[in-house]
Amino acid sequence: MNFEFGRVALVVLFALLPIVGIALGFFVPALRARGPLVVGFFAGIIPILSLYIPKRFLSGETGMRPRLDQWLIIVYGFALLLGIVNVIQNGTRKISRRESGWPYSIVLLTGLIVTGALGIWGAVSGQGITTLPDGSGTPFKWIADHFFLPLQATIFALLAFFMASAAFRAFRARNTEATILLVAGILVMAGRVPLLEFLAAPFPPLQPAAAGASQALGKLTEWIMQTPNGAAQSGIIIGAALGAASMAIRVILGIEKGYLGLGGGE
Amino acid sequence: MAPFVDRLLNLDRRWLFLLVFAGVAVPIIMPMGLPVTTTASTRSAFEYIEALKPGDCVLISYDYGPSSAPENDPMAEGIMRQCFMKRIRVVICALYALGGLQLANNSLAKVSAEFPNLKYGVDYVNLGFKDGPAAVMKRMGDDIVGAFPTDVRGTPLAQIPMMKGVRSLRQVSVVVTVATGLIGEYWITQAHPQSGVPIIVGPTAVGAPKYYAYLNAGQLVGMLSGMKGAAEYEKLLAGRYPELGRFYKTTHAFTATKGMDAQTVIHFIIILFILIGNAAYMSQRAARRKAAAR
Amino acid sequence: MRTGVLSRAPARLPLYAAPLLALLASLLSGNALALAPETSPPAPSELPAPTNFAAKDRPGDGGNATLLTWKDPAGLPEGAMIQIRRAVPPAYEWAEVSAVKPGVEHYEDTSAKDGTVYRYEIRVADTAMTTGAPVVSDPVASRENWFSPDRTNSFIASVLFILILLISIAMAKSGKNIFIRRIAGLNAIDEAIGRATEIGKKVLYIPGIQSMDEIQTIASISILSYVARVTARYGADLDVPNKDPLTFVSAREVVRSAYLQEGRPDLYREEMVNYVTYDQFAYTAAVSARMIREKPAAIFLIGYFFAESLILAETGQSTGAIQIAGQADPTQLPFFVATCDYTLIGEELYAASAYLTREPILLGSMRAQDIAKGIVILLGILGIIVTSLGLAWYPNLFKTK
Repeated sequence: MNFEFGRVALVVLFALLPIVGIALGFFVPALRARGPLVVGFFAGIIPILSLYIPKRFLSGETGMRPRLDQWLIIVYGFALLLGIVNVIQNGTRKISRRESGWPYSIVLLTGLIVTGALGIWGAVSGQGITTLPDGSGTPFKWIADHFFLPLQATIFALLAFFMASAAFRAFRARNTEATILLVAGILVMAGRVPLLEFLAAPFPPLQPAAAGASQALGKLTEWIMQTPNGAAQSGIIIGAALGAASMAIRVILGIEKGYLGLGGGE
Repeated sequence: MAPFVDRLLNLDRRWLFLLVFAGVAVPIIMPMGLPVTTTASTRSAFEYIEALKPGDCVLISYDYGPSSAPENDPMAEGIMRQCFMKRIRVVICALYALGGLQLANNSLAKVSAEFPNLKYGVDYVNLGFKDGPAAVMKRMGDDIVGAFPTDVRGTPLAQIPMMKGVRSLRQVSVVVTVATGLIGEYWITQAHPQSGVPIIVGPTAVGAPKYYAYLNAGQLVGMLSGMKGAAEYEKLLAGRYPELGRFYKTTHAFTATKGMDAQTVIHFIIILFILIGNAAYMSQRAARRKAAAR
Repeated sequence: MRTGVLSRAPARLPLYAAPLLALLASLLSGNALALAPETSPPAPSELPAPTNFAAKDRPGDGGNATLLTWKDPAGLPEGAMIQIRRAVPPAYEWAEVSAVKPGVEHYEDTSAKDGTVYRYEIRVADTAMTTGAPVVSDPVASRENWFSPDRTNSFIASVLFILILLISIAMAKSGKNIFIRRIAGLNAIDEAIGRATEIGKKVLYIPGIQSMDEIQTIASISILSYVARVTARYGADLDVPNKDPLTFVSAREVVRSAYLQEGRPDLYREEMVNYVTYDQFAYTAAVSARMIREKPAAIFLIGYFFAESLILAETGQSTGAIQIAGQADPTQLPFFVATCDYTLIGEELYAASAYLTREPILLGSMRAQDIAKGIVILLGILGIIVTSLGLAWYPNLFKTK
């Protein structure tokens, strides 16, 4: 058995301590809420300490920090299982009760079962999930290439249409700020593409002037992106980073408990 | 007039969608060949790689998926072509889980076929995909072999000639992260401070505004933003290398320059929508004020 | 150039004198490993030797690495490299470690092992593989360190921030009144849920697409806790579709607890919080379809979103729902601002729990955040002044690895 300090510490903090906490919680209900907070404290403080303390038991390849990351992936896997069970439960409930949209649930469950079965078969049989030993693609890969990827690209492509309808509906000069937003938006959209050359295409005498104006518009666009936009982005990034740091410290110290459903600060 | 304005303001969005569809489809079917102007951030990236010498090492990280391939593929391939023209060694890796490796494999196969004189393992190598981008970058900062013990074909890196002398990111001249999402930022905020390696980022257009903050702060040496950035890079390549100029003119494959025609038309349509929408809104507001004054 | 005692032994001494002297030297020094190594034969004098060569443990690391530094000599020929070799005393078999280009003037040997003492030798080599005079280092061994000095500034900033936070919380606990400005999006939550109750339609809450390791998702789940309490109180229906499995598990617990705390466990249904799919755009399609079919009265888009933000927000807008969005990352904010009725921007998302509960301790932590922001602004202004005066050292104070 490998009794590295890091491993032992992790087992004590994330296995023994929660078990003891749960057991004590049966006798002292007030402790039930404390258990997750204690585990959360250690889960948060270990990565922070590993930033400053380069000792191998903490930050090394087999240290506490990388192990925690690996454990997160394992926990993730179990949570994914819960999610899949939930999808199947909801789907079968909708079908049995003929709720609105129930035929789609049949499609969903069929896709889930068929794709999942093919993937699991590929892994368990050793044939490979996406590529067979002879180099050809598996049925799982065929489904991915012919269903998953095109559908993904299609939904992403909808963005262009939604952007156009949002622009028509929402970009109104209601007040000064909205007008500034509007003007900046139009300038950047016009400056990022050869719009003036496009408009001047049917009018050859105007083309040199259009090219010159387009260059100037491009420079203005670049200035808008670098200066006002760059400054605003920096401000938001810094503010959000401080907010995130404050929230993280509140979570680690157990001050923030809303995400556990335990109410406000204490 | 008022009923027309009201109808216009409440126009069924499916008419807008139809116009958008036409605006994208027509230029693709009938290319216009509109010119592309370059910007400082793209030129900066181009000149940085131009200043490298044969034998230097560039890492291209595929940090995007199939959904943003039309924007990002031309960036990655353009930079790869430039490196191959200059006999700069190229190391490819993928840190994006859903499809990054497949895109890297496709791009490398396509571009390396255009340079038959270059050899895998000597001039370029594909390290494959690794999950946990932040941890992988941290590891690569000290020891690339620790992060990628073998290449995508399973060959140990110690047996790959071009990886001799490239032990960590410190021996890489520049990292080019072609990214959608967070991974591009990880390169800037984690890999760059740790190893000092210069970074060029190629984000999608929607992510580009955020990276200007890093560009202004000197944390980036260049940026290619969106399809426009990729088209600018293609123009710079065509201007510097006549063979690539001929390639971009004659290839039937999709290039960012071809995509700019559609993008120009669609920008025009959206600006038109905004202007018409505002004209109708102003007209309606004026009519209401008149009615209220009476 | 460092050489040991023995290599300078005069030629006329008897053969046994050299080992005897070596033994004597080791006995006197008490350190057998300080024996100077046999160096390579003297090279032609055209190639100069590096100077100021030092080898030490690489500072601030987890061990298994040494740091070599030197100054390149002037007049190096084109194509010359600095060869680095290593030996483990007392055996002096020099092994090639690496070769670096001139100008680098440092090398980190990450193949060193803790507890093993090494000596290093560097010399100039030209393209014809002729080598210059070697320079040998003192013995060095790598070890683990307790602290990374490169991150001292970050450590000080972190400690300072935590101190400010704890002091602000202590002040808040003592009853000091803390002002927090009005945040329209958070004020509108009750109104939105009330509207949903009146017209008998559900409240749709989308907690972003990232997992619970993202701080914005944790903030979103905190807000969900509040929203669930209000829907339990008003008797409105709640629907929380999830993309991430961990978020799904947390959201379910939070909603269930909220209904219990409000004394309305009868209104809670398992299907309120449901898992959709892990794929970004499949999730977007499913949620958009749900919006169109079920026409929720209120939609919350709070958390970390990527490209799907506009699709979701625009679809929600088309159904006529009141929409409240919130994200700390600026990338998708313009889309939310354009399509939603209220948007929480940047750190307003993190202020939500303090704002909604008005707990003094949480308000105290908000104050600490603002104090820290004020300090950053002051440092920025100071930086503009100092750097404009040509003092280039100031930005280096804030560089961190």
